[in-house]
Amino acid sequence: MKPAPFAYERPRDLNAALSMLAAGNGSAKIIAGGQSLGPMLNLRLVQPELIIDISGLVELKRAEISGGELVLGALVTHADIEDGRTADVTRGAMRGVATNIAYRAVRNRGTIGGSLSHADPAADWISALAALGARVTLRSLAGARSMAVEAFVVGALESALHASEIVEAVHVPMRAASAHWGYAKSCRKTGEFAHAIGAVLIDPAAASARVVIGAIDTTPIVITDAAELFGGRIAADYKQRFDVRVADALLAKAGIDDAAQRHIHISVLKRAVLEAGA
Amino acid sequence: MTTIALQVNRRAVELSAEPRTSLADFVRDKLDLTGTHLGCEHGVCGACTVLLDGVPARSCITYAAACEGADVTTIEGLDEDEISTELRAAFTREHALQCGYCTPGMLVSARDLVLRLPDADERRIRVGLSGNLCRCTGYVGIVRAVQSVIEARRARNVAPLADGGRTSLGPVGSGRATASRSERPVQQALAPASESATPGSIPDFTPATVLDQRFTLAHPPAKVFAMFDDIAGIAACLPGVSLKSPPRPERVEGLIRVRLGPIAAAFEGAARVERDPATLSGRIVGIGTDQRSHSATQGEIRYRLLPLENGAATAVELSIGYTLTGMLAQVGRPGLVRDLAKRLVAEFAANLDRHMSGASSGQAAPAELSFWSIVSDVLRALLARIFGRAFTGRGGAQ
Repeated sequence: MKPAPFAYERPRDLNAALSMLAAGNGSAKIIAGGQSLGPMLNLRLVQPELIIDISGLVELKRAEISGGELVLGALVTHADIEDGRTADVTRGAMRGVATNIAYRAVRNRGTIGGSLSHADPAADWISALAALGARVTLRSLAGARSMAVEAFVVGALESALHASEIVEAVHVPMRAASAHWGYAKSCRKTGEFAHAIGAVLIDPAAASARVVIGAIDTTPIVITDAAELFGGRIAADYKQRFDVRVADALLAKAGIDDAAQRHIHISVLKRAVLEAGA
Repeated sequence: MTTIALQVNRRAVELSAEPRTSLADFVRDKLDLTGTHLGCEHGVCGACTVLLDGVPARSCITYAAACEGADVTTIEGLDEDEISTELRAAFTREHALQCGYCTPGMLVSARDLVLRLPDADERRIRVGLSGNLCRCTGYVGIVRAVQSVIEARRARNVAPLADGGRTSLGPVGSGRATASRSERPVQQALAPASESATPGSIPDFTPATVLDQRFTLAHPPAKVFAMFDDIAGIAACLPGVSLKSPPRPERVEGLIRVRLGPIAAAFEGAARVERDPATLSGRIVGIGTDQRSHSATQGEIRYRLLPLENGAATAVELSIGYTLTGMLAQVGRPGLVRDLAKRLVAEFAANLDRHMSGASSGQAAPAELSFWSIVSDVLRALLARIFGRAFTGRGGAQ
C-alpha cells in the first residue's frame, strides 16, 4: 500500500510542466490534488517514473467570467465551487454537483481538471459538464485545442488527451434564465462513485434540452436533440411528457443489455427530470 | 530523497523524505505523531484525515512533498483547540468511540462539520461523516456527539463558517512551494519474469465472472474456423500480446500487456487451445500472473461459429470467463469490464476481418499470442475492476 519509488518535480510554470511531460515520454504522470491518482499509486496500479506536481501553478487556479462564459482553471477544486469561491454562471447547478462529490476532505484537494483527465465514467463532472454544454481547453507545447466535454471522454478512463497534453481550463456557458437544471445520481454509499447519473438542462422556452445518462461504464450518453425523449416536443409540460421507453431504447442501443441496469439508469434520469427546476 | 519544509502543529519542520512518502507516513514516522492513523491507504476510510491549511484532507493520498510550505495540523495539534475540546467531551459523554482507531480522523472531520454546518441536522451530519468509517459504534453516539456540540455552539450564537475559513483557490496544501526537482530514484529494473512465472499446468476452473460478446465476419464459417486454428496469425490481430515460443495448441506461452487509463500490467502465462470441428466451436483456457501487482488470473474463452447469410458470413459468439486474485482483485467494478471487452473485441474483429481479407492487420508485432489475447480483453477488464470501488470515496477527483 505504499507507492513504488518515483521522482518528483514541481515545475515553476505551465510551460515547464509541459516540457517535463513531453520529456517524460510517457513515463511521467501529472498530479494535481492526487485524489484519484494517489490511490492508484498507493496500490501500485500506476508506477510512473516521474510525478509532475502541478498543484502550485497559479495559471491553473483562475476562475473568471470572460466572453459570457465561466473559465475555470484545471486546479479549481470541488470545494472551491461548493463554497462559492468561484464565480458561477449556472445559477447554482455546479455548486450542487460539487457539494455531493465524494467527501469534504477529498473535495478540498480534488480538482475539476484532474477529475476530467482521469475520465472515470462514474465521476460527476464528466456528466454534469456535458449536460451544461461545457468545453475543455487542452494544452501542450505545440499549443492549445478545445473540445466539448462529451468528445473529451472517449471511454472508461480514456480521454482525448495526448501524452504530452494537459487539461488547462474548463469553459462553462451561461445557463439561460429560462433553462431548468436537474441532476440526480445513485450511490450505494454516500460519496461513493455513482452507479447511475442523470443530468438534464431543459429550456422549455427555447424548446431545447441537453440530456445526459452517465455512469454507464463508458462515455456518457449525451442527447442534444432530446425532443423524442419528451414525446416529440420540449415544452412547459416536459415532466409529464418524459418517455421512459425512449430512454430505455437509448440505453439498449448503447449496449446496456441488463434490463435491471437500464431500469436503474432510467429511474435516476427520471428523478433528474422530475426534480429539474429553474 | 527530497527536502520537505512545512509547518506541523505550528512548528516549522524541515526533513528529507522520499517523494513517495505520504503526509501520513511523514508525520508518523519522521515526527512520531502517531495519532494520525492509516486504515485503507487509498482515501476511503478517513482514519488519516488531518487539517491541511486549516481544512480536512486525506494524508494517505497526499504526498508530503506536495505539502511544501503548507500548514499541517494533526490530532496532536488540536489539544488546545476549542471545538476539539468540546468534541472530546461530547465523544466521551455519548460513547462515540470504542476501539478509537477511527477517532482522530473522526474528530478532524467532526470539527469541520461543527465549524461549517448552520444547524445540527442529523442527516447532514451523517452525510458529512460518511467519509469516515467506524466499525465499532454504529455511528449513533458519534452523530449524537457532533449534534450536541453544534447545538450548544449555535445556542451560544457562534455563527457557522460555511467555507471553513478558506479563501484561496486550488488544492489545499498547495501554493506556497517554490519550484523544485528531486533526484531521480534508482529505477528498479523490472525483474524479468522468471521461469516459474509460467505455470506448469493449466487447470480447469469455474470463472467468477462470465461475459458474452458477439461479432460477425464476412467470411464463411469453415474459413473462419480454419483461421482460428492459426494461433500465431490470430495473435497478430490482438494488441499487446507477444509469444514466448512457437505456439502449440496444447501449450501457448506468452505475455499480454494491458493498459487501462494510467494502469499498465503484463500478465505472463500459458494457455491451451481445444477445438471441436464438428460444432465449429472451441475453448482456450489460460492462467497468468502479473509480477508487478502480484496478481494472478485464470481465463477461459469459449467460442462458437454460426453461419449467417446462407453460410457466406459468420457470427462469432464468445463467452469470456475469468477469475482474478491478488492485488488487482481487491477492488471490483465489473461494469467497466463490459466497455473494455466490447472495445477490444471490436478491435479484434476488425483486425481479424482485415487479416482474412488479405490485408495487414496494421500491427507490426510479429508472432503474437492467440485467443489468449481475448483473455487480454479480460485482463484489461480485470484491471478495470481495480479502480473500482476501492477508490470509491472519491467521486472523481484528481
